[in-house]
Amino acid sequence: MNLQILLIAIPLLLAFLSLLLKKQSNNLLLVAGVMNVAFLTIIQKGTTVIGGFQPPFGITLVVDNYSFMALVVLNILFLTTILMSRNSIEEYGSVLLVAMAGLNGMILTGDIFNLFVFLEITSITAYILASKNNNYKNAFHYLVIGTLGSGLFLFGIALLYGMFGTLNMHDLSIRIADVDSAVIVLPTFMIFIGLAVESKLMPFSSWVKGVLGNADDIVAPLIAGSYAATSLFVFGRLFSQVLVIDSSLKILLLTITVVTLVLGEFAAFSKSKIKEILLFSSIGQAGLVATLFVSGLVLPAVLQLINNVFSKVVLFTITGKIAKDTDTDEIAELRGIFADHKIIGVSFTIASLSLLGLPLFFGFYSKINVMFGLFSLNIYLIPALILFSTIIEGAYFIRMLLNLWNTGEEGEKSKLEYKTDKIVSFSKYKKIGVLVISIVIVLMGIFPSLLLDNLYGDKTLLNENNPEYIFEIKGGM
Amino acid sequence: MDLSLMAILLLIGSFITYFVSRSNKKVGSYLTILITLFALMYVYILKNNIGLTYELFGVITFKVTYLGWYFSIIMATVYFSAAFFNPFWMEKFLYPSQYNLMYLLSFLGTIGLFFSNDLLTIFIFWEITVWTSTFIIPLGKSRKAGVMYFVISSIGSMGLLFTLMLMYNKVGTLEISKVFNMLANEPKLASIVFVMFILSGLTKMGIFPFHIWLPQAHGNAPNTFSPVLSGGLVKMGGFITFLSVGVFPAYEAFKDGLHIAGIPILIYIMMLLGAVSIIVGTLMAIKSEDAKKLLAYSSVANGGYILIGILLADQLGLAGGMMHMLNHAFASAASFLAIAVVAYKTNTTKISELGGMIHKMPVTYTVFLISIISLAGIPPMGGFVSKWLIIQALADKGLLLIAFAAFFGSIGSFLYVFRPLSAVFLGQVAERNENLTPPSNMMRVPMIFLAGLVLYFGVLPRGVLEIIGKIQASVGITPVELNGQAIMAVNGNLDALKVFVIFGFGFVLALLLFLAFKKPRKVDLMDTYTSAEFIYTKELYHYAHDFYAPFERLYGNHPSVEKWADQISYKVKEVGDLVNKVFFNFNPSLSILWITVLIVIIYLGGVII
Repeated sequence: MNLQILLIAIPLLLAFLSLLLKKQSNNLLLVAGVMNVAFLTIIQKGTTVIGGFQPPFGITLVVDNYSFMALVVLNILFLTTILMSRNSIEEYGSVLLVAMAGLNGMILTGDIFNLFVFLEITSITAYILASKNNNYKNAFHYLVIGTLGSGLFLFGIALLYGMFGTLNMHDLSIRIADVDSAVIVLPTFMIFIGLAVESKLMPFSSWVKGVLGNADDIVAPLIAGSYAATSLFVFGRLFSQVLVIDSSLKILLLTITVVTLVLGEFAAFSKSKIKEILLFSSIGQAGLVATLFVSGLVLPAVLQLINNVFSKVVLFTITGKIAKDTDTDEIAELRGIFADHKIIGVSFTIASLSLLGLPLFFGFYSKINVMFGLFSLNIYLIPALILFSTIIEGAYFIRMLLNLWNTGEEGEKSKLEYKTDKIVSFSKYKKIGVLVISIVIVLMGIFPSLLLDNLYGDKTLLNENNPEYIFEIKGGM
Repeated sequence: MDLSLMAILLLIGSFITYFVSRSNKKVGSYLTILITLFALMYVYILKNNIGLTYELFGVITFKVTYLGWYFSIIMATVYFSAAFFNPFWMEKFLYPSQYNLMYLLSFLGTIGLFFSNDLLTIFIFWEITVWTSTFIIPLGKSRKAGVMYFVISSIGSMGLLFTLMLMYNKVGTLEISKVFNMLANEPKLASIVFVMFILSGLTKMGIFPFHIWLPQAHGNAPNTFSPVLSGGLVKMGGFITFLSVGVFPAYEAFKDGLHIAGIPILIYIMMLLGAVSIIVGTLMAIKSEDAKKLLAYSSVANGGYILIGILLADQLGLAGGMMHMLNHAFASAASFLAIAVVAYKTNTTKISELGGMIHKMPVTYTVFLISIISLAGIPPMGGFVSKWLIIQALADKGLLLIAFAAFFGSIGSFLYVFRPLSAVFLGQVAERNENLTPPSNMMRVPMIFLAGLVLYFGVLPRGVLEIIGKIQASVGITPVELNGQAIMAVNGNLDALKVFVIFGFGFVLALLLFLAFKKPRKVDLMDTYTSAEFIYTKELYHYAHDFYAPFERLYGNHPSVEKWADQISYKVKEVGDLVNKVFFNFNPSLSILWITVLIVIIYLGGVII
């Protein structure tokens, strides 16, 4: 029960300790990561009241099926990322500990202002991480946009508090359900903007190109993996449970998210650097997940989100290391680079094919769920657009994959002598890490019910779309 | 014999082959031969299990039907024959183990596809086949070919996915025999679903305007995989096309709509696309300088025949289309294998650089001769029987425009099949190819096997047509009528055996005459007469160069679908660049501008609404 608070408290405590014990900060980071994952095996669902004030006046931490899934995904991703790229952490150990606390806090909290506080903590760590490797101008860009977003988020919260007099998320959801949607148009949109900046929806995501485009092998998988997962999970909770909206605003939000999806894929198609392709693909996938959340399809959204973040962690880790060692991530200069690194290449391939939603991989299961969900709501335009963007996605991913594996210009046979002369070396942690994630992706693709049922306890998940079942614990009230 | 068990064994077998190939490439490739042989025998025995259903992993369901069995046997034969060539290419590949793995996985995908019992299973195996074969193509000469193959196949896959989702929403089941039944009474919905569904067949078979991937992929793929691509994977499209008229109640659903010459308009448009494919494929093949691209365009043309035959969905046309699928599979695979032998020995497939291969590899020449006679539809080979059936059906229904295209394709095919025969095999051996060793027996065996099948089905088509008759009966169409070795049709009968016997007499007579008369005088390859001028570029005057130049000049400035495809790709890139500039500018102020604009819109929208 009280283990929930430890998920936030331990990393925070160790963060302060690491300021005193600077040399041990990386080890403390590992300790925190392992402890968090260990706690998750024994944590129980329920709420924790903080500070003695009963809800709806006080802050609560909520662990229901939804946030438990989110916590598992986040902490496993975070730990894996740290383990794989240990050598790149350098002196950022304390920052990462604070980030871990903030991310866990964002998912756990049941109070909307507390969410804002954790969002700010997380954002600050994100800005600091973004500036790694002298990437100052782009981090500044991120800071500007992020601050605007958080400010608008706070404005939205203030409006909601003024209208309803409560900050507890469950209480808000009950009160909002009683009023007409038109009343909450402005605060909803403000909160949407605040989250959209972190979640990489267009046009709020101009920072992504500079930050992820120049990130190395620890920052990129964190921002595209852990941070993206958390912000989208929070987006999902807010927009499917608390701020349930009806047609007029919903159409506008859906337009924004669908446009993000389609234009993100178009932008990815036009790029020739691996990191830029991947970051635009992240933007497109974020648009897709947000679309599903706004439409009310929680389970397909969660599945698609999990697929995206795990694949992106693999892809960005590998690309980050390649870029670090060879100073380039242009595909044309890296032809045939997997010839000497078959394990890395296979993992990269599996992660990409899973993103495309091809069978034998987890992405297929999530894609089918997404399609079934959308069609069951009799929505036809959005699936058509999703399928159209999948074709474009297929084009650029396959182009990237085929060129990274094979050598030679057009018309020349793919031979070893045309291979690029750039040299990369991958640590064994990276190899093991990406291989394990890829094997899990394949296993979950062939036997999806294995893992998911263990998390949810029962039921096959195809067509299981019951938000009531997922948001079981009602904020302690 | 459990089909699910075979699927799992194939899956495990492919991974075992991968790991074995990592240590010893040759042994791995021999494993592919063994595994495909095992699968071929297994599928053959499955004939006794017609009607049984199996399931796998809770989601995949199989059913053994005559249709599935027919397609699987063709596919397994082609994969098995081409597998014999794998060991020779193991040194040439950058990733031989990956090749073996993908070879077997794509084989598994096709077998699973043909025995599927519901649309989701079809989709799963379709996608598996597409992505596994995508990784084999770039091991040859072109990376762009792999991307083009994948993208165009994706267009088809998306149509398939959309269909299956739509139907599941309406009907609640995805079982093939039941899912489309309700569409018989809903013409509007049926039109949409029909187009989406048959789109996957069109893109896979390479029907105009989706034919551009065929010359790129077949032409540039590794020489040992092109036979599989052309003889095998393209038939997946034929499978979907059959389902789209056999199981999908196309004729019933559209019976109240517009008809042209008795055919509902949507189906007629598809047939027109097939007719255009025949013409485009034939003309582009006549123009080709590369032997493999020529055969690829020939596959486009034959795909058109298959489409037309199947879409007719009647006693003769459907039988013709199905039989043409078998004939084309074997003939195309055999001819690609023959070219692969030539390429293995001479390292080129450009027609003008070859010549006189008959002296070095007479068996290969015979195989190639037999297969191209079948491709052109000349008796006594199998291609003649199937084309006869299709043209009978077209004439019977009075479809003049399409019949014109079919005749044009037939006659045009004489032109393009003769070109590689005479320029590659006949004539004299070029100097650089003087010292070629004959191909090994391992290469000869599958070629002779396939050529034998081509000949057999041309002489004794009864076996195939009986099975096709059973397939026709299973979807409610009158089976083709057979009488001994003869096929009975409305406008006359075809007794293939009699035709072969007469042809045999003619052949023997010509042989005797040839042996009796004087031998021709041999002239040097480059000995060209020019009435007192010196020639410095003898190669350009050799007959193999610019073979059909006068004819090609007639359509030299033709519009090109490839250019349209390139332009579309360029436009997508431009949109992406625009997005990049507008929304992802270096300067944060532009983003703030967009955010402000959005807030204003929301605010105004809220005030107005």
